[in-house]
Amino acid sequence: MLKDIRVSCSPHISERLSTRSVMIDVIIGLAPAMAAAGYYFRIHALILICTCVISSVAAEWLCNAIRKKPNSLDDFSAVVTGIILALSLPPNLPVWVAVIGSVFSIAIGKMVFGGLGANIFNPAMVGRTFLTASFGVLMTSWMVPVTIDSEIAKIDPDNKIKAVAEEGLVHARTRATPLAWSKQAIKSELGADLYSEEQFKATLTGEVGGSLGETSAIALLLGGLYLLIRRTINFHIPLAILVSAFIFGAIAYLIDSYSYVQPLYHLSSGGLLLCAFFIATDPVTAPLTRRGMWIFGIGVGMLTMLIRIVGEYPEGVMFSILLMNAVTPLIDRLCKRIPAGGKPSA
Amino acid sequence: MKVNVKGRFSFPGGIHPPEKKDLSREVEIQPGPAVKEVAVMLSQHIGAVCQPLNRKGDAVQAGQKIGDCDAFVSAPVHSPITGKVKEIALRSHAVLGRSSAIVIEAFSYSPTRRSYFKLKDDFDEKNYSAGQICEAVRQAGIVGMGGAGFPTRVKIEPNPQMPKETLIINGCECEPYITCDYRIMLEWTNQIIAGIKLARKASGCSQVFIAIEGNKPKAIEVMNRALESFANSDSIKVIPVKTKYPQGGERQLIKAILKKDVPTGGIPPMIGVVVLNVATAAAIAEAVISDLPLTHRVVTVTGEAVAKPGNYYVPIGTSVEDLIEFCGGVTKKSAKVLLGGPMMGIAIADLKTPITKATNAITVLTKEQIGRAKFARRQTACICCGRCLEVCPENLNPTKIAHAVKYNFLDVAESYYISACMECGCCSYVCPANIELTGYIKTGKIFLARQKKKIPG
Repeated sequence: MLKDIRVSCSPHISERLSTRSVMIDVIIGLAPAMAAAGYYFRIHALILICTCVISSVAAEWLCNAIRKKPNSLDDFSAVVTGIILALSLPPNLPVWVAVIGSVFSIAIGKMVFGGLGANIFNPAMVGRTFLTASFGVLMTSWMVPVTIDSEIAKIDPDNKIKAVAEEGLVHARTRATPLAWSKQAIKSELGADLYSEEQFKATLTGEVGGSLGETSAIALLLGGLYLLIRRTINFHIPLAILVSAFIFGAIAYLIDSYSYVQPLYHLSSGGLLLCAFFIATDPVTAPLTRRGMWIFGIGVGMLTMLIRIVGEYPEGVMFSILLMNAVTPLIDRLCKRIPAGGKPSA
Repeated sequence: MKVNVKGRFSFPGGIHPPEKKDLSREVEIQPGPAVKEVAVMLSQHIGAVCQPLNRKGDAVQAGQKIGDCDAFVSAPVHSPITGKVKEIALRSHAVLGRSSAIVIEAFSYSPTRRSYFKLKDDFDEKNYSAGQICEAVRQAGIVGMGGAGFPTRVKIEPNPQMPKETLIINGCECEPYITCDYRIMLEWTNQIIAGIKLARKASGCSQVFIAIEGNKPKAIEVMNRALESFANSDSIKVIPVKTKYPQGGERQLIKAILKKDVPTGGIPPMIGVVVLNVATAAAIAEAVISDLPLTHRVVTVTGEAVAKPGNYYVPIGTSVEDLIEFCGGVTKKSAKVLLGGPMMGIAIADLKTPITKATNAITVLTKEQIGRAKFARRQTACICCGRCLEVCPENLNPTKIAHAVKYNFLDVAESYYISACMECGCCSYVCPANIELTGYIKTGKIFLARQKKKIPG
């Protein structure tokens, strides 16, 4: 009756969680953003997401085959990387560029370190940085959502800003990306306050130019809320990022409200929400301890705002994530947990 | 039907595993099997191993002392049955691997529920001096019956360096499946309270808390009612604590009730606290008032694979096999037999393993209960999700410690305070990568002890 019983160390039961279930949760969390992308960019979204996912998965399979390691595709992490990369790319990016980005993400961003769990930097951000450095023009040519009148969409922000302003036609949606617009506006001495109420509403729904998945603040918040409720992510990192970004944005705005947009606009536009809920919370590259998470989040928020406000780039999420990833091991070492009963006296 | 009491008292961290207590919680304590042979371990407790007092072939009486030791941290063992010493031989021991035991062949043993200790109306702990109580506890061989098996006399004896103020009676039973303490609280209520009073007297504590998890409302009610009927029980309070694992851990319980931390590597008396299990309190009453040694205990035999789960009053030294067979054997294909519950219990390979004074349950788990990944021991890479940090009741960093041990960086493991881990298993329970964090930490502790030459390699 009692043959073949097993022994092992305790505990003998476990919560039915797996790396795969965690990753599937993230994919579900990204679903609203993907749906919004599909709505605003139609076929472009489909092509880009499929390209990135397929080439990420293929790259991981290939890397495992070369290293003669067991297949690790069943944890779905390559799918997540592919989706996040796709959502952070311009919608009309050529397919071959997306393939290069995905392969770089997986191969150099993850697999060379030893696969999932061993990478230092967020793979998707590694891939995106590579593309930005290599294909600067392609990576900054934005298209506006197909739901907007295509005629207006053709107005090029760089050249037509003055014309548009002179005509009094401050039609916000025609701007490339909201943040690029405000940067250009400052340069052309129009003042960042051209960034209108209407524009803000558009960033909430997503009817603006920008990367595939970062335009719709509502979709991203929805997905983030799902992950928070499912306890797949902790609230610490997103909260720290958003609060610090808001504070630094507010400081800049209070100092010079002519040159800088309102802090709330900073939160709703650009990649900040995508970053706060889906990229910065990548467990592998974020600190383990609560205190570390706060430091990490504040660092990401601060660096992002620094790049956006002071730097030449309109967008700073990608670099701030990578910079904070680099110091994550140090943060972890700094924020060592002390046992509940205090340090042992011996 | 079951209305849980909301226990507010809690500690940071912890998990909520499925309780599974319904299998045996309504089953009254019943007499165990008619054993033909018992194997009484000479090491039933933490501390020095006993020396056998008999030789092979000697006849022993039920309750006769058969092993003792002069060391301070130790407790004698007694024969639970009348019979003949068959041999003194090695038997499987849950913690020590193999250890010597006195095997006694019964002349005739009829299982009884020991006549429940009827509390005399004139019971008054003032009739017993503190020294008298401590000596009786020592002579009866009482050890902590909640799992660790620390000699009770050492705990309750007054120590001038560490004066004790608070006595906490542990009726949490946070481990899934196990119900023996719950049944004892319902059925042996008066005896427990008498034991509490004696322990209070012996230790000189001024306040007593009986901690019961909120998922045992009946036990809380019964205890409260019994306390009302007792004289001189003003300083004894029943505290409903939050239903959460490991609420019954000594340090967690103290944290929950008193909001104090026991120093890392220290013991509760350092902050003036004694924690006793309810079963231990009941045993104290028996020992002091009726002069009965600790020879029997209540064991929960449970798990989905057991035909007749229940709570059984059995002689110490009964083999696991006898008990499981007595419960109708196993019905389904079972995968693991545990001494204790699924969180901290020890999986045994030898069904002849005898139960000890600290064995509170035998749990037989099926493959479904264990889960496919855990059954296959399929571990994937750590994704640093931090769940183990969140649930760790000792505020440690389990993944760092476990991986330091894995790659043999014992100094790193020590720098993350490996010794502060109490091996509750919460980290392994929540790990999505199914890493045996607790297992690595346990291994690391053994490596460290070897390094420091505490245990031979």
